[in-house]
Amino acid sequence: MNGSQDYVLYDALNNIKRNGEFNGSIIIKCKNENIILSESVVIDDNNLILPEGLLIGLDNINNSKKEAISESSHYTLRLDENLIEYCLLVPKELIEKFDKERFSDAFPYTINLLHSACLFLNDNNFSINHLDFFKGEILKNPVALINRGICLADRVVIDDTGDPIFYDTLIIGRDSHDHISVSYEAFITVDDVLIKYIIILGIESLKGHI
Amino acid sequence: MLLWENKKQKLLKILKIGINPFKKFVSTGEIKENLGLVSSRTDFLNDLEDIINKNENFILPIIGEIGVGKTHLFWALKDQLKDNYNTIYLSLENIYKRFYYNLYSEFIESIGVENLRIITNNLCFKWNGIDKKYGFFPISNLQKARNNGIERYGPSIDDKRALNDVINVITSHRLDPYNRIEAENYLLGELLNVRELSALNVEKDLRDKNNAFVLLKILIENSKSGTLIFIDNFEKIISLLKPNDETEVVFDSSWLYGSTENPDSRTAKKILKKILKLQKINSLRIIITLNSLNSLEEIKKLVSNIDHNLLLTFKDPVFLSKFQEGDIYSFYKDNMKEFLQHINYQDLTDEFANSYHPLTKEALKYIYQKADGNPREVIKLLIRIFNELIYHDATANDIDCRYKELC
Repeated sequence: MNGSQDYVLYDALNNIKRNGEFNGSIIIKCKNENIILSESVVIDDNNLILPEGLLIGLDNINNSKKEAISESSHYTLRLDENLIEYCLLVPKELIEKFDKERFSDAFPYTINLLHSACLFLNDNNFSINHLDFFKGEILKNPVALINRGICLADRVVIDDTGDPIFYDTLIIGRDSHDHISVSYEAFITVDDVLIKYIIILGIESLKGHI
Repeated sequence: MLLWENKKQKLLKILKIGINPFKKFVSTGEIKENLGLVSSRTDFLNDLEDIINKNENFILPIIGEIGVGKTHLFWALKDQLKDNYNTIYLSLENIYKRFYYNLYSEFIESIGVENLRIITNNLCFKWNGIDKKYGFFPISNLQKARNNGIERYGPSIDDKRALNDVINVITSHRLDPYNRIEAENYLLGELLNVRELSALNVEKDLRDKNNAFVLLKILIENSKSGTLIFIDNFEKIISLLKPNDETEVVFDSSWLYGSTENPDSRTAKKILKKILKLQKINSLRIIITLNSLNSLEEIKKLVSNIDHNLLLTFKDPVFLSKFQEGDIYSFYKDNMKEFLQHINYQDLTDEFANSYHPLTKEALKYIYQKADGNPREVIKLLIRIFNELIYHDATANDIDCRYKELC
């Protein structure tokens, strides 16, 4: 875990807010369990502005069905609406590690989904579980919301027991003092009971991704 | 149970199967030499390494008479520099035509495909060819990388068409998943058809000398390891320039080349110009081997006629001397040890660690004197003596009595 808190740009729980324009790898966790990824963010007294962000989450289609969304757009998030839990700029050295260990798309045995889809959803009303179907496969670009954190990985493999193993992973979460921490793991196995959802990002939303 | 074994007799029996421990008296750039240099040459090798490490863009002449071990030196040098340099052997006998293409092929063989991928990857990063979508997902920006590459190399490369071709291939190799395979084939020196070239947006393949030169320049300048080209038998240039009167003339070349020049001399001048053009590649080091100081002076005259300033890149020559007397003993022992290990008789190496069986120290001393310290002549005499042992049923005692007669 990274000890310094410089990378935290906004934290509603600990009253942290750093005004300014920030560029790099920005990740935002919303209180409604959505996640937003962006290359830049402008934070002023009232707003958090993302010129081009990718909103990842789940949307209610009707009372009995939810589906994954990954929407690219300009986002202006009003801070007084109290929608954001935290926003952080992932340290460069972690991103370098993350990039270095990525699988190339030329690797033949990985599955890229065309459109974003929910692989797993742990919800009392609308459960989704495709883990068994993809057992043993390598799925590219998973994003998972896990208990108190986010897991953004290059690929995920479902092991024999049906648990997902995330490879080349950035893990963002809160420690026992509720401080936000970000770390890198080459691979990590997560018990599916801890997972709220896993969304596999489709290459349509990442056009030009190499 | 075997209580005692006549090891000397055993060695002779092994030899009489028909294997001569000394069989190769000419080194080549293709077949690796496993035997290192003799001890008197260790300092020479270290001095060479020192020159190579402390200088860039030079031509270093190594002078030594025929058979003194100049080509063998290449293998020792390659081994010594293996961690920091790609050492490439060139024989002007072999790369008479398509000089840059052949040189490029040797370079690629030396660095390997993995290093090639690392170089193109780093170049595309340097040229900002990879953007981050949403801050996390790398996406290629081919056009930006191409523009930056051309901007970086445009001022130093005259042939813009060749530069365009090469930049297109390098960027496609890393950033264009649809043409990656074709780009890699191109970079590995394979000849592509028109359809493949057009997919890469390239006009010519590496048979075009400008394309080969530009690609060589960019890859060498961006390789993590330094590059050293060892051009053996550089006198070939001089011999080509001089007309050979003994050759029967079937076709009067003056019709094509005028009365003052023959085709060989034109080729020689072209090769020389191409070698000198290599000086435009930053951090490239060149070693040339010559038989005599006179040849070097002749070469310098030719270079001076082309561009006097290029003479400044010539370092003072270093001289590879003959064997010293002690060298023949260590050479003989090392060679026999390697021979026995090669034929899987390691147990005999300890037995003969302190003897020269089936020869004697006196015989080796005589061979050294007879060969006047020239390694190739030494090996030739050793081959002759061992052939006598192998094929004429001679014993070690016979050899001891007759070595003078056999030399």
